[in-house]
Order: sequence, then C-alpha cells, then structure tokens
Amino acid sequence: MITGTAITKTFRQRGSVLGKRDVPALRGVDFAIERGGAVSFIGESGCGKTTLGRIIAGLETYDSGEIVIDGTPMSSLSHHRRQPYFRRIQLIHQDPYSALNPTRTIHQTLEAPLRLRARQTGRPRSWVDGRAEELLSLVGIDPGYVLPRYPHQLSGGMRQRVVIARALTMDPEMLVADEAVSMIDVSLRLGILGLLRDLRERLHVSVLFITHDIATARYIGDEGEVYVIYRGQVIERGPTETIIADPVHPYTQSLLSAIPVLHGLERPGSEQVVPTEALDEGQADAGCLFARRCPFSTDRCENERPVLSGDGTVQLHACFHPRRRSVIPQGVHT
Amino acid sequence: MSRDSAAAPGVRIRGLTVVYKTPAGELPAVSGVDLTLAPGTITGVVGESGSGKSTLALSLLNAVQPPGRISAGSVEIDGLGDVLALGGEELRRARGRKVGYVFQAAQNSLNPLKTIGKQLLDLGRSHDVDDLRELVRDAKGLLARMGLDGARVLDSHQHELSGGMRQRVGIMLALVLNAQVVVLDEPTTALDMITQATILRIIREVHEERALTTLVITHDVGAVAEVADSLAVMYGGRVVEHGPIAEVLGGPRHPYTQGLIRAIPRLSGDISLARALPGRPPTLGTLPVAGCVFRERCDRRMEICDTVEPEPVTHDGRTVSCHATGRPSPAVKRREYA
Repeated sequence: MITGTAITKTFRQRGSVLGKRDVPALRGVDFAIERGGAVSFIGESGCGKTTLGRIIAGLETYDSGEIVIDGTPMSSLSHHRRQPYFRRIQLIHQDPYSALNPTRTIHQTLEAPLRLRARQTGRPRSWVDGRAEELLSLVGIDPGYVLPRYPHQLSGGMRQRVVIARALTMDPEMLVADEAVSMIDVSLRLGILGLLRDLRERLHVSVLFITHDIATARYIGDEGEVYVIYRGQVIERGPTETIIADPVHPYTQSLLSAIPVLHGLERPGSEQVVPTEALDEGQADAGCLFARRCPFSTDRCENERPVLSGDGTVQLHACFHPRRRSVIPQGVHT
Repeated sequence: MSRDSAAAPGVRIRGLTVVYKTPAGELPAVSGVDLTLAPGTITGVVGESGSGKSTLALSLLNAVQPPGRISAGSVEIDGLGDVLALGGEELRRARGRKVGYVFQAAQNSLNPLKTIGKQLLDLGRSHDVDDLRELVRDAKGLLARMGLDGARVLDSHQHELSGGMRQRVGIMLALVLNAQVVVLDEPTTALDMITQATILRIIREVHEERALTTLVITHDVGAVAEVADSLAVMYGGRVVEHGPIAEVLGGPRHPYTQGLIRAIPRLSGDISLARALPGRPPTLGTLPVAGCVFRERCDRRMEICDTVEPEPVTHDGRTVSCHATGRPSPAVKRREYA
C-alpha cells in the first residue's frame, strides 16, 4: 500500500525575459493506493498528473509532504535506502515506439533486468530464459515469435506488451501506466486495458493509470478509484463509476461533456457543461482554481479556495456549489 | 457570412491506387479506392495505422512523396479538374487556393523561426495576392471567429502558442486563401478533451459558414462522430464501408466496422460487451495479395474470402465491401450487431 500526504511540487522556470517564474505543479495532493487496487488520475495536459505519477515512481523529487510505502515513510530513509522501495513501482511509458532500445532484440531487452533480478534473489542464471518466456506468455504474446525480434518488427500493441513484460521483470507491486494506451490503435486498446485488469487479478499488482481519456479508466477492473486533477489540485475523487455517472464538480462535468458523442449509438447528456476559454493561468489567485472558467462561479468562489471534502461519503469534491448534472452520453439501443 | 452553399465543390476519387517502393517491390498503401465527397458535407475517414488514410489525404493535393507514387486513378474536384493530371505551377496554385490542408500536429508544420504573421505574408506572396493588407484582415477575422486575438497571434512565434491555438492557426492558414475543399489530417490528436471539443465545434461552424467540402482524417472514431455527415472506414488500403454517419455507427455492416465500434472504450453501457479485435492491423508487407484484406481478423470468414477480393456494393446509400454482408437478402432489412 502506498499513501501520500500533502505532496507539493513547484517547477521554477528560468531564462525568460521576466526572470524566474514559479509554476506550481502540485498543490498539496493526498492519495492512497491499495495493494491490487486501481487508481486513475484524470486531467488535461499540464494539470500535474504525470508529475505526480513520476513522484510516485520515484523518478521525481517533491518539495514537501510525505510518501509512505508499506508503512515506511520515505523521508526517514536515505536516497540509497529508498531504492528497493521504488523498485517495486515500475513505470510504463506512453510511447511504446521509443521506450524500447531499437538495437536490442526483445530477448536482450528482457535479459538484462532479469539477470539483475536473479542476482538479487539468488536464483541461478538458467532461471532467466525461462522467466522471460513466462512473462511474455503472461502479457499475451508468443515468446517464440517475439524473443528473437527487434522492436521495429513488432506492432504498437505488441511493443506495449513487451514494455509491460519488462516492467514485470522486477516483480513490481505497482505499475504506473502513463497514457499507456493513447498511442495504441483503437482496435487493440481494450486488449492492453484488459491485460492491466488481468495483472491486477492474477498477480495482485496495483495499477496507477494516468490518462486524459476518462472512458478508458472504466476498463482496468472493478473497485477502481478516479482522481480528477486540475492545476495541481485534486478537485473530485471517488469510485470510477460514480465519478463518471454522477460527477458533482463542474470541472469534471466539463471534461465529461467534451467527450464526443457517437451519433447513432448514443445521445448527448441533457445538461452539458461548457467552460469558458482559459484565461491567463499564471497569476496567483486566492479563490477556486477553476472559478474563472466555471459557468457557475460566485463571489465566494473568487475569494476562497474550496478543499476536498465529502461530508462522510466516498465521493469527495472541492466545490462550494456541487450539483449532479447529467452530462455523459447515453446509449440509444438500451 | 452567407455564401451560396451550392458553390461548394464536389470531389470524386476513382480507382485511386498509391504504391510505395520497398525492398520487396512496389506495395499498395491505397488500392483502387472510390470515394465521393458530396458538395458541402464533412466526410470523416477513420482507419488505424497503416490503413492508408493519410496517403489518401495527400493524394487530394497530389502530394504523395517518394518512395510513394500514385500509380492509377483520378481525383476530380469541381472547378479544378483532375488533380492528378496537374503539375508544376498549376498544382502549386491549386494547393492553398482550391484545396486547403491542415497538417497533423500543426506545431510541426509551422516555421519556428518566423512569426505567424510573416508566414501568412509568405503564403500571400507565393500565391500572388495583390492586397496583403486585406489578407491580414481576413486572417484576423478568421482567428477572431475561432476565439483568438488575431493581432496577438500574428505577432507570435509558434512556441508561444498552445496546441489548440496552433491548430486554429493551421485552420486559418488553410482557409485564408478561400480554399473550398479542406483536408484536416488528425485535427485533434494530441489535444486535450476540452480543447478537442472546441476545435471540433469550430470545424463544424467554419465549414457551414464558408460552404466548404471537408475531409477529416482520423484514427479516433469519436473525433469524427461529432462533426461528420458521412463516415468512410478504411482498412488495409481499402474503403470497406461508407455511409451516413449515424447509420454506420448505429448499424455497422462490415465486420471490421462492427469490431472497431465494439472496441471503443465508452462512458456508458456494459463494459463486458466491449472487446478488442483479435489479431493486429496489417502493414504494407503483411497485406494479403489476393482475397479480402480483413479475413485474418474476421469472425465471418468464408471460403471465398481467401481468393476473391470483395467488390464494393452500394445498397440503401451504404457502400460495403464484404462477401458476408455485401449482398443483403431482402428478408434481412436491419442487422443488429451483438
């Protein structure tokens, strides 16, 4: 289990004519991911979801807050002693075309981390080849076909499966999948999502799924949780199906309203929310971060920032005026 | 702005074949495609990687680059004639004046060293525009129409603009010379959801106001479902199904279209009904030489599919190339998909 409390991160931009500029990427984020669970971070580019994913994978530092892995606070450990903890968390990149070394066969790609793993766990060298085949079968590809090949000989879907197999060489407890299906062909996307769901069920691996496409979050298995992130703040959080079917925050509603309707199969939701065009977001403001784009904002929203709260329910929101609206498209056939 | 919508030109693609030179010989990326864009409509072309959709789009400008070569067919545009017969100066003038093209990832098609305004003036000079002031006025008008501050955008370099703004600049540059046929290649790829919705709305509105004939190429059915009037589905260099969009999405007839729609992650409905298509999209090298290109992944494969390529058959305004569904018996009026 991995938890985070009040994680903040500010990037400092240099070199502009105006001098230094601070860009807050995360403004005090809490999260908790259970063993075998699924958490999805949803938001637009620049909202901080990728930064948070990289912090959780140990690839990025944070300014303040605390991350606790299996009961051990990371702040109590030296950089060196943290490594074994973060090795249990493996990142799957967005682009399967650049994540694999083009000059190495898949066999070579998997062999290197597996040898390391064999040394760490005291297994014989002979274990490596068998394990490579086992992992490839696990991710649903034929080891005999794939092992001797180079990445360019494989399709995008296959490459992404190889990337997942490589992540599994470290026997991780959690996979951080950052936009893992956005570059995969549509007809194969569900295959990769189904694989992540399988890994949760069979290996009890937790999945942190980072995406801008909320619909895909439904397909990584039961009991998933969605965090909607806006400008570095979690503004709504709850069970996946609840957040999609009954969102109460106007920003979540805007995101869901923006998803195209498949005319002929679906009809649009009756209460679509369209945000106003984004204004200059560089300025510091005391109020709700979404207030200037929100069609429902009031004076209070301009001056006071709402915090994430839930009145005792599992659905948390950071909004002074939460209201359910029917925004998502409904099927015509059913 | 009110222009006569009858002025929108029609586009007729006939027997278009584009081959690419590879070590294994010349292989077809687009193979004998017939596609008609009705005047004043938006046609969406959807296909996966390697389906030939981008090659098809480039053919509308006769701009297929080596090692590619248009080996057969014609692309007739009203008021312009066969684009494939044009060359040299004539072709250069047609591009921009008659056919506007919005490139995939507009950020990569803008010059990073020049302001947008300078690039606009370059465009005007290369097309012998007499009144450059008016061109700038038109450009500002178009940008304002799309919700941008025209003067500010024209003074900006591309890196100062967001992805959604660059995409709008791309649309402005394609339309500012009053092109009436517009091709948009993946107009919303790499854009955020809310920005995508805005761009799609703009495409639809500008299309109607300027009486255009528009072709939108995409891998994402959702991106065209919102704006297109008709949908053409490409697979392995062929158009396997084409018809009014609501009908194609609501009652797909080709097994590939059916599988593709079933594979889209959706916000509502039963998750367990959705599944990925088996197998993988063909590449130039793995396309079968004879028979149906989809048969390896098809759940309705018959013996004839191995040897005979299905001809496109038009029925009820829908064109489908499939042995299993091409000749519907009169008894089966409407086919429900599982």
